[in-house]
Amino acid sequence: MSQTIRSGAAPAEATAPVGAEGRIRVARRPRFAAGNWIAPVSRAVTLLGVVCLVGVLPWITGRDPAQTILRARSAEQEATDESLTAIRDDLGLGSGPLDQLGHWFSSAVHGDFGDSWISGTPVLPGMLAALGVSLTLMAFAIVVAAVLAAVIATPSLRAGLRGAPMRTSGAVAAGLTALPEFLLASLLLLLGAVWLGWFPPYGWNGLGYSMLPALALGLPAGGLLGRLLADAIAVSFTESWVATWAVAGFPRRSIGMAVVRRALPGLLPQIGLVMVALTGGAVGVEVVFAIPGLGRATLGAADAQDLPALQTGVLILLIIGVVLGIGAELGRRAVLGRGLRNGALPVPRPTFRYRRRQWVIPAMMLTLLVIVIGVGIWRDPYTSAWPKLTPPSAQLPFGADASGRDLLARVAHGAASTIGIALVVALACIGLGLLMGLMPRVAAGPIEIANAAPPVIAGLLIAAVLEPSAPAAATAIVLVSWAPLAAHTAALVKEVQTQPHVRILPVLGVGPTRAMFTAVLPAVVGPVTRHGLLRLPGIALALAALGFLGLGPQPPAPDWGLLLSEGLAYLERGPWVVIAPMGALIVLSVLAVSLSNLAAPTRRRRNTAAAPSAAAAEAAIPTTSRELTLRCR
Amino acid sequence: MTSSPLPLDHRTSGRRRGCLRLTAVAACGSLLLAGCFSSPTGARSTPSGSQTSEGAAEARLRLAMLLPPRSGLTPFSDDAFKLSRWSTAETLVVLDADGDAQPALATDWSRIDDKTWQFTIREGVTFHDGQALDAAAVVTALTAATTASPKPRILDGVEFTAAANADGTVTVTTGDVDPLVPQRLSSPQLSILAPDAYTTGRPVNPVGKGTGPFELVAVNGTSTATLDRYPGYWGDPAAAPGIDVSFVPDGTARAAALRTGTADVVEAIPVSQAALLDPDRIAEVPMPRTNTLYLNTENSVFADPAIRAAARAAIDRQVIVDQVYEGRADLAAGLLGPALPWAQHRPTRTPAQAGAVDGPTITLATFTDRAELPEVAVLLEQQLEAAGFQVNQVVKEYSFIEAAALAGTFDAFILSRATVLDSGDPVAYLYSDFACDGSFNISQLCDPAVDAALAQAAATEPGPDRRAAILAAEKLILQTDAAVPMLHERVIQGEAAGVVDAARDPRERSLITVDTSVAG
Repeated sequence: MSQTIRSGAAPAEATAPVGAEGRIRVARRPRFAAGNWIAPVSRAVTLLGVVCLVGVLPWITGRDPAQTILRARSAEQEATDESLTAIRDDLGLGSGPLDQLGHWFSSAVHGDFGDSWISGTPVLPGMLAALGVSLTLMAFAIVVAAVLAAVIATPSLRAGLRGAPMRTSGAVAAGLTALPEFLLASLLLLLGAVWLGWFPPYGWNGLGYSMLPALALGLPAGGLLGRLLADAIAVSFTESWVATWAVAGFPRRSIGMAVVRRALPGLLPQIGLVMVALTGGAVGVEVVFAIPGLGRATLGAADAQDLPALQTGVLILLIIGVVLGIGAELGRRAVLGRGLRNGALPVPRPTFRYRRRQWVIPAMMLTLLVIVIGVGIWRDPYTSAWPKLTPPSAQLPFGADASGRDLLARVAHGAASTIGIALVVALACIGLGLLMGLMPRVAAGPIEIANAAPPVIAGLLIAAVLEPSAPAAATAIVLVSWAPLAAHTAALVKEVQTQPHVRILPVLGVGPTRAMFTAVLPAVVGPVTRHGLLRLPGIALALAALGFLGLGPQPPAPDWGLLLSEGLAYLERGPWVVIAPMGALIVLSVLAVSLSNLAAPTRRRRNTAAAPSAAAAEAAIPTTSRELTLRCR
Repeated sequence: MTSSPLPLDHRTSGRRRGCLRLTAVAACGSLLLAGCFSSPTGARSTPSGSQTSEGAAEARLRLAMLLPPRSGLTPFSDDAFKLSRWSTAETLVVLDADGDAQPALATDWSRIDDKTWQFTIREGVTFHDGQALDAAAVVTALTAATTASPKPRILDGVEFTAAANADGTVTVTTGDVDPLVPQRLSSPQLSILAPDAYTTGRPVNPVGKGTGPFELVAVNGTSTATLDRYPGYWGDPAAAPGIDVSFVPDGTARAAALRTGTADVVEAIPVSQAALLDPDRIAEVPMPRTNTLYLNTENSVFADPAIRAAARAAIDRQVIVDQVYEGRADLAAGLLGPALPWAQHRPTRTPAQAGAVDGPTITLATFTDRAELPEVAVLLEQQLEAAGFQVNQVVKEYSFIEAAALAGTFDAFILSRATVLDSGDPVAYLYSDFACDGSFNISQLCDPAVDAALAQAAATEPGPDRRAAILAAEKLILQTDAAVPMLHERVIQGEAAGVVDAARDPRERSLITVDTSVAG
């Protein structure tokens, strides 16, 4: 019996003797103590690590913060040694990173998070006020999302009650989810404020001001949650107790309520992730609508290298993420409670009517992408050969952008590079996920932080270190995207290790390391790789989102996010400038959603293999790769 | 596997609890709302009792500004320009269109000797906090500026002390001979605020401390600011009862504010949005900003003047103005543009002969912080490639590229450069960009003739002679082809129907003046 060693995570385990029954029991107690001890420490260390990283940024980047701060305070001022030295003395930059950090921590304990380097006023009150604004905005967005999710899930509930549970095709939801928040925000600004004149275009002075931003944030979240809820309801209807109840003559209303109640807990981790995604998405929305929220404040602080403000902002954002993650887990336990402890969760029978059509949509999307790339890759994406904003024509199928460049060529070249980078990112995530998944407790902190950090925040930090570029954006996405794969790996490893052919290995004299490499890993690599590749379109969307915020590739690269942000200003004068990259993003999103649909049933079956870990696996495996997409905005 | 249906009794009680929870959430939500919105300023508010003699209600001005305050509105930063654009803080001296000094808080001044100036302070002026303006208050304000850390831009490299005299005048002494002292004192960074604004150890706080026709009464972080008319103003009282300022960094949102009538005056509308607006609602103001291609004269293919001349000849400025700026910019005839009207009387140049270009590879760099620059780079790359160069582009954020540009890493660099900063005089710009030991010498130019001409201009008294000397130096610089001026930018200011007398200031120092008003 070697389960004490299987994760190979804690030192106590690694040295635990193997073989005799009695000694295993001895080894078990430190295992529990270590287990209880390692995860919280891992969380604290990771959180501290991120804060320290922010604190020592100037020393890592080698860029002189004094210079940036001078520029922020006073553009075009000559950076004389005199003025730079004055700033350095002012901020205590001369004392080195360790002193700075020590000082920061000792003050932070007393609730003093330092003075802004730019304005000289204390950071915390402003950040807390911004937090209040962001939380209010998120609350409205959650209301929007909840209403939309209910609307989307209703048909699924009706179908189930009719006795013909079916998955949604997800077209409506996918369409809603496909629009990144920043794009939706700009469209809503145009529609609701300019054309209809119903809402103010910007600001944060009352209820009317919150409508458009809340819609921009809430629609994609609601689309995703609605689709997940619809699927979860459909799956719950296949569980045997539903038939039992129906036979026993329970009213349809009761059955419906029970199914919803059964479906919700599995969604809670997703809801947690969606809320984290809202924090990230709020950055773009707050920028578009000039809302004085936390995201905008943190983005501004990063731009101006105002480290105390950046530190505080990042810390608050991460704490929100961790709290939401823990809250979701507690909520899940509370709702699922007894069933989870008893290992008595009902098992669904995946008996959907598989429709050929399920293959049709991803195939169509893929074909579309291939056609666009195939045709456009031969055209010149850089030369301004056409008049500004030339409308689409036979010669110029997608029209020309504001610089007179061929948009078809730019979208095609952008697709090639974006998808290429996304592939590298996906492979890196798979590697990192497998590695970390083998030591789940040590990885607990990093996994939670990675889940809690929207890619925008990671992008900001990495861009500050490496300067904004495609590799920087890729690194940032890897940093926050490996976590679901690690969780998946951990769940699978646990499962495989409980199987007889693996449990017998120690008795046969196979050491834990060898068992890991010969028996466990081979069984895990396949599913994790498939999972990782399914995330590819989502990763591409995340790259585009970073590009849009200026944290990715720089002009004149034909990156999709850049195409969008360059085109947005011309939305009214030449809609095709936005339609081309937006269409491409939507095609990619639909591809992502439909691919995850195909993959879903197999995952369900696998969960049934080991009841105790089924819940863990359910929590760990994303029901869809869309959640990554959403998180990435 | 056992199927375990959820017990019905739990379900129903759960639902009731759910209802309770919902109610609680709704209550918390409404509490949150009360606390989490900014103070309302978007709606047009009319303070009671501010009726004009005609009986028509006066309307407060709603202003949408580009940049939020960066440093708590301290005058020792770029935020100073906001204080002057709102007419809340005033300076001793103001500049007229030609850049000559005119009286403001100082009624008169004279040069005692090379390094000493004496200013007479206006009488009957009170700060918004009720204190009277006197020589001591002026000295407090100027001394705070000279001892600020870092020094405000206008005082870079300037030794400067102020002292109050018994007769109520103020003596200003400079370390070096400086003919520009009155011009310097016109900089908003040297605004005179009440002594209470300058508490040692704290950032300068301008709220309720100015002397202008509008009193700054509230600043709401980086989102809004509120100003009310100051009844005790020393001049004619302001036409408008107050200003409600919003900071809206997004260009589309600013343009939308004008179209939807939520702002009366809008700063810096992007070129892309200007075409969507009623031409009567926008005003194009020439800026003292020149979009220039700097060529590296030291270690690059452009070390050869003939190649530089070839690059200059290859550039079609009109295409750039039409394509990128949609005609809303002025073709550059020199380094100094139409914001300095006298610059058009420049002497004729003898351009250098262009040499043959045999396919050298050059690096063309610029930055993303100004959205048009990458677009200019696209066109320049094409034009230079048509002339036989092989062009590689490097485009980054400014903070990532400045050091490399100054070190001479790139062969060519596109920069939108402010030509007059705070004193209204372009010599500082010409010196830092083109003198051997200039601190912003991207071209790495070192030409004794240029240095001599710049020294000559710097030493000349303000007035026609100085302007002629400046133009002579500009001619020498342009003949080296170290810099190719392409165009002069304009800032597009939006004004709603009914807005009267909003200032259109090329120096971006004034905007809402004592005369500005809007029909309610």
